[in-house]
Amino acid sequence: MNLPGFVIRNAFRNKRRFALSVSSVAASLFLLVMLQVALRELTNPINDEGSSLRIIVRNKVSLAQPLPARQLQRLDKIPGIVTVSPFSFYGGLYKGDEKFTSFAQFAVDPKRTLPLLSDAKIPKEQLAAWIADQTSCIVGQMTADRYGLKIGDRMQFTGQIYPCDLDLKIAGFYHGTADDRNLMFHQKYLDELLGDPGTVGTWWVLAASVAEAPLVTERINQAFANSSAEVRAESERAFVLGFVSMWANIKTLIGGISIVVIFALLLVTVSTMSMAIRERFRELAILKAIGFRRRELFAFILAESFGLAMCGAVLGAGGAWVVFHSLDIQKLSNGLFVMFEVTPRLMGLAFSVAALLGVVAAIAPMFTVARTSVVEGLKTLD
Amino acid sequence: MALPIRYSLRNALVRWRSTIATVLGIALVVFVFVLLQSLAAGIEKSSGNTGDPRNIMIVRKGSTAESASMIGRQNFQDIRYFPEIALTAKGEPIISADVLVLVNLPRRNHGGEANVLLRGVTPRGMELRPQVNLVAGRWFEPGKREVVVSAKLAKRFANFDVGQSFKSGNATLTVVGWLEGGGSAFDSECWLDADECRSLFERDMYSSFLIHPVDEAAGEKLIARIEGDRRFKLKAEKEVEYYRKQTMTAAPIKWLGNFLAVTMSIGAVFAAMNTMYAAVGSRTREIGTLRVLGFRRRAVIVALLLEGGFLALLGGVLGCAFAFYWNGYTTATMGMETFSEIVFEFSVTPKLVLEGLIFAVTVGLIGTLLPALRAARLPVIAALKSL
Repeated sequence: MNLPGFVIRNAFRNKRRFALSVSSVAASLFLLVMLQVALRELTNPINDEGSSLRIIVRNKVSLAQPLPARQLQRLDKIPGIVTVSPFSFYGGLYKGDEKFTSFAQFAVDPKRTLPLLSDAKIPKEQLAAWIADQTSCIVGQMTADRYGLKIGDRMQFTGQIYPCDLDLKIAGFYHGTADDRNLMFHQKYLDELLGDPGTVGTWWVLAASVAEAPLVTERINQAFANSSAEVRAESERAFVLGFVSMWANIKTLIGGISIVVIFALLLVTVSTMSMAIRERFRELAILKAIGFRRRELFAFILAESFGLAMCGAVLGAGGAWVVFHSLDIQKLSNGLFVMFEVTPRLMGLAFSVAALLGVVAAIAPMFTVARTSVVEGLKTLD
Repeated sequence: MALPIRYSLRNALVRWRSTIATVLGIALVVFVFVLLQSLAAGIEKSSGNTGDPRNIMIVRKGSTAESASMIGRQNFQDIRYFPEIALTAKGEPIISADVLVLVNLPRRNHGGEANVLLRGVTPRGMELRPQVNLVAGRWFEPGKREVVVSAKLAKRFANFDVGQSFKSGNATLTVVGWLEGGGSAFDSECWLDADECRSLFERDMYSSFLIHPVDEAAGEKLIARIEGDRRFKLKAEKEVEYYRKQTMTAAPIKWLGNFLAVTMSIGAVFAAMNTMYAAVGSRTREIGTLRVLGFRRRAVIVALLLEGGFLALLGGVLGCAFAFYWNGYTTATMGMETFSEIVFEFSVTPKLVLEGLIFAVTVGLIGTLLPALRAARLPVIAALKSL
């Protein structure tokens, strides 16, 4: 019998233990991958082509502080800007939703919005219908599918931030953006409901080129410095990362839990390996006695432990990959997660953790084997 | 006849080297579960601990929190002279019209930025919130750009020491004191003069009214009156009720805690099974002897279950102890309702400890069940013969 055959036979000698150990390693690795995917999705903004061109302008005080609508004239004169539209986050509760509405509603200028949503596809007649009717809206395809919406349907919202409720008619559906969930309606309609306060939530700006985007950002900040409403213009990425920073210690917490999971994994593998070796003490002593070198015994142990960890990795991380690819995470998580993508990097991480575990778990049994003399080993009874 | 409990306990401990990994594994699961639940409990405790049961809070109908609520000035004029509102010695109604502003400020040590809740508060409003005390410096003076920040926020945000000042938009505010809310939601606020706040941030509207009614019956009447009047699109409720509902932030943390506990416990069950199978395997002869001596299968099963349960209980105690180390530690995240940094403490409650222990024992028992059944099913003679 050759060495690999020997190792494999040994590993499967106690099938039940092997299966249990592999399952527990797999369960932990599955969890690890899942936590990391969730963390990645929460902390890494979704990027599409337009995200490097889009600039978001908010009040310097905070996102909750409105901006004067008159800033538009000044913005229109800034060089390097393709288009500007107000984007006022309405934050309403959709009729029928109990506590939380999973898609955002933005009040925008319909004539200026489309270039801002790079890759958004919407039939021409639907766009025209939206622009023509001030009380109409367009809805992302994901949301439309989720709620089974049809063109011409009406949607009612209760304002949670603005002191007004909305009654909107669906003029069309768009798709093709990185996140096809949002609803857009006329800023004019919102103004009318509020009695024309002359304010907007934020401005969304499209820069002419990627190279010019930082300059445009700088120009916008300069333009309103020392005015009554100073602004903070930043790239879409910086804006989203700003949100992430607000999660504060929760982010650290998920990172910490991942470490605990890894540690728990380590315990399982180590205990299994030492159990497997303890059972075979006599056998290993015999191997030693018939002339196997210490080095070779180490190789047996290492190969078995490494193999066990890797089986767990294939089952756990591979399982995560299959599960998250085939499940509709968006639906299951109530819209909290959209992509839930298991990236090759995360798979790499999971396998590296497993490999490391395999090696570490072999260390303790190796020491025991190295320390015990042949005679001692032969004396042991189970 | 049952085996003595001591048999199980001593067996669990005698092989401590091989069982320690299982105990630690279960401890970690319990630790994660209790720790996350203690976060959620901390959030609930802080909001449940806020307010005076006599006060009535009014916000705009539909808004989830004071900070997202806008109430017109006319409403203030209309409500102010309602007879249900108690009067001061001078004959003024005890009603405070506050305004809340979110400001984006940098954290200490370049930890990014976060929103902080500024409350423009009137002298009446301060009297109505006796939970808030000054712990350093002095209170702000009306008409000055001065602010008293929460001592707990001061540890987290830059330029929040007494005497320092910070800029928001084009307003510069000087920190003149630190306040403490006694573990309430006010620990996540900064207070300044209401009129000053409204002029600085160009707020025409109010965010909320806090009212002290004449007595409880008047309070009920006031709530009914405001809810019933169609002129007002306002929501009136007891202040404590309002805060008790501000626990949306806790929900996903709770969910995460439960989810992790369940998934991690799968691994733990497997590990426990492994250990107990090994325990049974190495005691085959012993178990056979017990059977020969006349102990029934049932007794063997019970003894082994006790052993596994005891091991798991040890793990549970250890896990709770790890979690308890964090008890009272102050942490923060973004509040889902206020959209601002909320400060709260890990709070390991007796209920959570109990849940953690029950959970641990359950994991242990599930893990032990199959090995115990196997041990009980061993044919006595074969068991005795085995080496």
